[in-house]
Amino acid sequence: MTGRILLKTALFFLIWMALSGKFNFLHLTIGLGLSLGIAWLNTWPLTGDKMRVSWVGVLTYVPWLFSRILASSIHMVRLILDPKLPIDPQLFGHQTSLPHHAAVVLLGNSITLTPGTITVEVSPNELTVHSIDPASSNDLLSGTLEKKVATVFPSQPRMKA
Amino acid sequence: MGGPRRRMATTIAIIFLSLGLFFLLVAAIGMVRLPDVFARAHAVGLTDTMGAFFMLFGLAIYEGFSLNMLKILVVFSLLYLLNPVVTHATIRAALRAGVKPWMKGPS
Repeated sequence: MTGRILLKTALFFLIWMALSGKFNFLHLTIGLGLSLGIAWLNTWPLTGDKMRVSWVGVLTYVPWLFSRILASSIHMVRLILDPKLPIDPQLFGHQTSLPHHAAVVLLGNSITLTPGTITVEVSPNELTVHSIDPASSNDLLSGTLEKKVATVFPSQPRMKA
Repeated sequence: MGGPRRRMATTIAIIFLSLGLFFLLVAAIGMVRLPDVFARAHAVGLTDTMGAFFMLFGLAIYEGFSLNMLKILVVFSLLYLLNPVVTHATIRAALRAGVKPWMKGPS
């Protein structure tokens, strides 16, 4: 426990020094105090369950999500600038069977981050999504987004809701 | 304006900043044109993602490799982590307060 706190403190302190770029007494003591405090806060259990994250999954997921965000942004610009304003908003529930709370959170955040779709309500099994037109929710309805999220959190048994 | 390298960086930065401004402008137009809270939140999402991305990317190129570029990257990643949370909270509050989403069709 203490070892973990010290390790995290050292890491945060390094980041502090890199970002502040000042090495006088005042900056270093403030940085050390904050690093220690944040490292201590970090030991509080937030979810209570362990998770495994595939870093390869993360490194492929982020660029993919970004390309989707770019594509739907352009779609959104077209919708807004169209003189007829051809929007068709819908509110629908989406069942999900992702293994972990963190995975559902990532799915919900990805949906909200993509222009054109917003997660309105979240539960471990279902997301309520508002979309501005049917084309915006294609990725979600076809299950592509969920499959990509699953690659970030590999092979874990489904936890109880 | 420095050497040709510096001038090129400035040109690229201006192009990216203009792209970002374009997305911000469209988001502002969307705020006015769209019918209700929910639809407007989608327009604001444009600012959060593409607008902020192109603006920060332009600034990072203008700065070149320096401490400030690292700081811009930190701002960028924090923005992408926090924005969906805020948007989600706002929209959920609207729905729970009883705002009815605007739907297409005769109503």
